[in-house]
Amino acid sequence: MSADRFRKWLMYAYAATLLAFIILPLLIVIPMSLTSSNSLAFPTPGWSLRWYAELWVDQRWPNALWNSVVIGLSTTVLALLLGIPAAIGLAWGDFAGKRILYAIIAAPLVTPVVIVGVAAFSFFATLGLVGNKLSIILVHTAMAVPVMLTTVVASLSTFDRTLVRAAASLGAGTIRTFFKVVLPLIAPGVITGAIIAFIISFDEVVVASFLSTGAERTLPRMIFSGVRESISPAIAAVAVMLIAFSATLLGVIAILQGRSQTLRARASA
Amino acid sequence: MKRRQRGGMLALLTAPLILFVVILFLWPVARFLALAVDNSDFSNNLPRTIAALAGWKADSGLPGEPVFAALVEDLADARRAGKEGVLAQLVNQRVVGSRFLVIKTAKDAADGKLTMRPVRDEVLSKQGGWKNIDLWQVIARQQSARTDYYLLASLDLKRGADNSIEAVSADRAIFVDALLRTIWISIVVTVICAVLAVPLAQAIVSAPPAWSKLMFALILFPLWTSLLVRTVIWIIVLQKNGPVNSTLLGLGIVSEPLDLIYTRFSLYLAMVQVLLPMMVLSVVAVMRRVPTTYMRAALSLGAPWLTAWRRVQLPLILPGILSGGAIVFVFALGYYITPTLVGGPTDQMISSYIAFYTNSTLNWGMGAALSLQLLMILVLFALLFWTASVLFRRKAHVA
Repeated sequence: MSADRFRKWLMYAYAATLLAFIILPLLIVIPMSLTSSNSLAFPTPGWSLRWYAELWVDQRWPNALWNSVVIGLSTTVLALLLGIPAAIGLAWGDFAGKRILYAIIAAPLVTPVVIVGVAAFSFFATLGLVGNKLSIILVHTAMAVPVMLTTVVASLSTFDRTLVRAAASLGAGTIRTFFKVVLPLIAPGVITGAIIAFIISFDEVVVASFLSTGAERTLPRMIFSGVRESISPAIAAVAVMLIAFSATLLGVIAILQGRSQTLRARASA
Repeated sequence: MKRRQRGGMLALLTAPLILFVVILFLWPVARFLALAVDNSDFSNNLPRTIAALAGWKADSGLPGEPVFAALVEDLADARRAGKEGVLAQLVNQRVVGSRFLVIKTAKDAADGKLTMRPVRDEVLSKQGGWKNIDLWQVIARQQSARTDYYLLASLDLKRGADNSIEAVSADRAIFVDALLRTIWISIVVTVICAVLAVPLAQAIVSAPPAWSKLMFALILFPLWTSLLVRTVIWIIVLQKNGPVNSTLLGLGIVSEPLDLIYTRFSLYLAMVQVLLPMMVLSVVAVMRRVPTTYMRAALSLGAPWLTAWRRVQLPLILPGILSGGAIVFVFALGYYITPTLVGGPTDQMISSYIAFYTNSTLNWGMGAALSLQLLMILVLFALLFWTASVLFRRKAHVA
């Protein structure tokens, strides 16, 4: 039995080490970004918030943040508009060729992103749309939809479809049924999908690099070109803020999932 | 009948998305990949010269007057259409150092400076570069609007003087190396991920629920932070005065900072950290479905723990390792950001070359050929993983 206990102890020690390897680098930039010096060093020589303040002084960073938010929100809206009807069709429909449709939808996800970027660049260049937010939004939507679709399809497939028939028998039209019955019940899945779509667009750098010029630069694009020159503590400060942002969104999703579980439990009760 | 109709209606709901993906994704990608065999910039801009060269052989010496006359006309037209730069680049790709020759001759031709007869002597006296037989051989071969030049080049091959396929000179052979390196890096990363992930997944599955949840959340968290941010963080952590080096120095393990960043080591480290969560997720998903009673049965029958694990648990979770491996491998093959930022010059993968050829040298044909190559490898390995999992499942059924 003691060998058993030793093995367990060893396993947890291993898990802790590996998790530290995954998580610690993300945490160690926090103290490093709070440096008062002009370069990044560890241990941090002195403490200051100057690099966070710097980000708001240098007009390019807020501008890039604004671009990223606009592109991310537009991508989310477009992905929902295209994705929710498609998800209903795929989750409830019973037709031939569904696998082919899934393959087409998933293609932007599995294609190496450089190929996506270069192909998009050559395509939008002929349309004169390079350096325009619209081109980035369109490509980001294609990349975000397949991931968003999985959460929406998942919540639709556990949805009790007799509710739709009940609504219809009570005289509700298709549109009314969708907004009053279906949408409220699949809302957690839809919101999770929307957050994922936003994150995919907000974090995407390669397509944004190919398609954005000068004033249209997104936040990841700014980081990417900044890193290639030199890593200033400002980059570390941006990294910390982005990590905090992801942590917040992940927390929201965790709460949503808890909510959808209670919703489901209540529905089946 | 009613049911069928509803099925049709529901199928119609997917139409906007399908159209969107086809028009804004599949079509642009297909159009770009087609550039790998496109030769129209060559054949369209030198039509008369190429026609005049029909039947000409290299061993008969420099071509005659009609060919030179056609060349002057073609180049003058190209210049007027603003195409002489593209043309010069295409010629230069095949015969290095001829870019300026083409541009200059085109300018002279368009400006009417090549009017003396015979024009052959005029051109040769003003632009001696055209005495190079190789140049004519290359042009004579461009009758078709399609070319295998880029596809061959992406495998370090070319058409020789007699139009047979041969290897390019060693100093220009870079693509096969890049290809093998890309596959090798992806294999190493996949194997490391698999080896690291399995015990971690085992710990997650066998821990008490609260701990299991916490570990799972910690594994998931990096997936939510951007790939770029995680890559940048490795540069910060591994740099000369970063935490790793200062810890090693402080502990007296090394006496001067190590070169950790911009090496193959840092590339593996960053890629594994980024891709490990996917492997863990995949293995955990399968492991959760394996009843713990199997292991207990093996142990109670007297098998040592390791033997029981290897003979009972491992085969049962292998499908998870295979599907996780497929995901990690396919993602690794297409990696661009991480090798570009944390790898050294000799650690670049195919994606970086694709970006280089289309961004910096505007060599779209080469970029497209390399993209095609990358996609083929991706499909090939995806099929390989798929076959492996099918074979494995069949074997498991028989057993």
